[in-house]
Amino acid sequence: MDIITLDNVSYYYKTYDENNDVSYAVGVEGVSLSIEEGAFVALVGHNGSGKSTLAKLLNGLILPKSGTVTVAGLSTADKKNLFEIRKNVGMVFQNPDNQMVASIVEEDVAFGPENLGIPQPEIVERVSQALEQVGMTEYAKRSPHKLSGGQKQRIAIAGALAIRPKVIVFDESTAMLDPLGRREVLNVAKQLNKQGMTVVLITHFMEEVLDCGKVVVMSGGHVVKIGSPMEIFDDDRLLSSVGLDAPRSIALSRKLKSAGFNVTENCIDAKVLGGEVCQNLTNK
Amino acid sequence: MLKDVTFGQYYPSNSFVHKMDARIKFLLCLVFMVGIFFVQSFVVFGFITVFLIILIASSRVPLKSILKSIKGIIVLLLLTVVLNIFFTKGDPEKDKLLVSWWIFEIWDAGLYFAAKMFLRLVYLVMGSSVLTLTTTPVDLTHAIESLLKPLKVIRVPVHELALIMSLTLSFIPSLMEETDRIINAQKARGADFDTGGLVKRAKAFIPILIPLLVGGFRRAEELANAMNSRCYEGATKRTQMRVMKLTWRDLVGTLVVLLFFVTVFVIFGMKSQWINANVDWLYINDVNWLYF
Repeated sequence: MDIITLDNVSYYYKTYDENNDVSYAVGVEGVSLSIEEGAFVALVGHNGSGKSTLAKLLNGLILPKSGTVTVAGLSTADKKNLFEIRKNVGMVFQNPDNQMVASIVEEDVAFGPENLGIPQPEIVERVSQALEQVGMTEYAKRSPHKLSGGQKQRIAIAGALAIRPKVIVFDESTAMLDPLGRREVLNVAKQLNKQGMTVVLITHFMEEVLDCGKVVVMSGGHVVKIGSPMEIFDDDRLLSSVGLDAPRSIALSRKLKSAGFNVTENCIDAKVLGGEVCQNLTNK
Repeated sequence: MLKDVTFGQYYPSNSFVHKMDARIKFLLCLVFMVGIFFVQSFVVFGFITVFLIILIASSRVPLKSILKSIKGIIVLLLLTVVLNIFFTKGDPEKDKLLVSWWIFEIWDAGLYFAAKMFLRLVYLVMGSSVLTLTTTPVDLTHAIESLLKPLKVIRVPVHELALIMSLTLSFIPSLMEETDRIINAQKARGADFDTGGLVKRAKAFIPILIPLLVGGFRRAEELANAMNSRCYEGATKRTQMRVMKLTWRDLVGTLVVLLFFVTVFVIFGMKSQWINANVDWLYINDVNWLYF
């Protein structure tokens, strides 16, 4: 069953030039997309491709100028639906510092359930469960600003989880993190998906989409291709035209293959590839 | 450069005072502050001193950090003392004129009054710093929200005010970091903050303030998005995770403070001639109304 459906959605940003004349810049245009319950979908694209605009459309932070966004059967266009929609679609944003509401970790995580009007004992339960899911239980009483970027982002994930959504959207949540922090966040995302959560991962790091079921490539506000990660990586012309690269290990394994090495084509794991290269060298 | 600045002056410890409920501490602090203003005799000030010593000892906060808070009001203290000494006119029948030079007159009443004013201000600051040193800013915010709740009846947006306070608290560290970054970025481009006159230095801060302000707006928008995404719809039907529970400590603390003030005021408040003298004399001299 589809949990989120976008039907011919367009969104334009109002811009003003120096004469104060209004013009419109494309955010997204004519996007139709459906996301199945339990899916792991990646949205990739270069800066300005419209992927973050699309994310904000998913929970009604912005409303489409034309077309409809439907979440669990509810249209975002109706203001009365927004509360219910946001209960279903959790969001984790790019900058971990700008989504912290409280100066104590557990109080920040509790913010969502508090807004839902959940009775106090259940809030405590949800908070401790959410913190456990992201592996941050021991930091419950700490102040978030002393934590690392990856840890802060995991707190933000816990904050979304405590609302118990069906979908969680990562809006470039790894863009500001170091490699270790990125791995932390990605692992949590994968784990959540295994537990049945629908995950929408927005990113421009192609390495992060390897485990996704479906990759949506965006450029200039349009969806240019939807397919499995391998289908996308195979399409060199498409990737270079939208300013993206296949993951390095895959690109390397292809080059090695065409140079006559006996390696697995489209190798995802750099360590495996390394082993194969060593094997080849000792055999020669 | 700005990294060392910690917000608030909380001194972590596990003392009796630390463990008391923030609301009770806040209310008792108010009682103390109001009480201080009714103290008129040096004998009672002596009792207050003993009280403060016991309070500070039981809070296990080093005296140094408490005295530090007086630094902030040192100018006000000096001004108050000097003005009171020189501009208090005594009653010639009761008080003694000590020095008279040009337009200045120093009366013994003026000296007493200045000394009391000094003690009052110092004790006021010491008492309230015990509150801020033993209570985290977060607890204090919660306490204020909880205590102001009755004002909701007259439509004071208590929840919103408390939220603003707590957001401010949680954003101070990241704004500090950002200020630091901007200062470094401007220094790297040759900005000079350390030389020149006052005007030049003030002007040098404009390139810091503007990016900070713009960044602040960007942050505010992102925060608003994050809050909306987490189903924030204002105070209606909102619940709270934190429960504030009163314990035996709060009962004991309240009883001790109230008993102390009631006893002291019953014993000394009524009989003391100092008070009567001071009150009479207060009507004569308008200047001192300012301080009363």
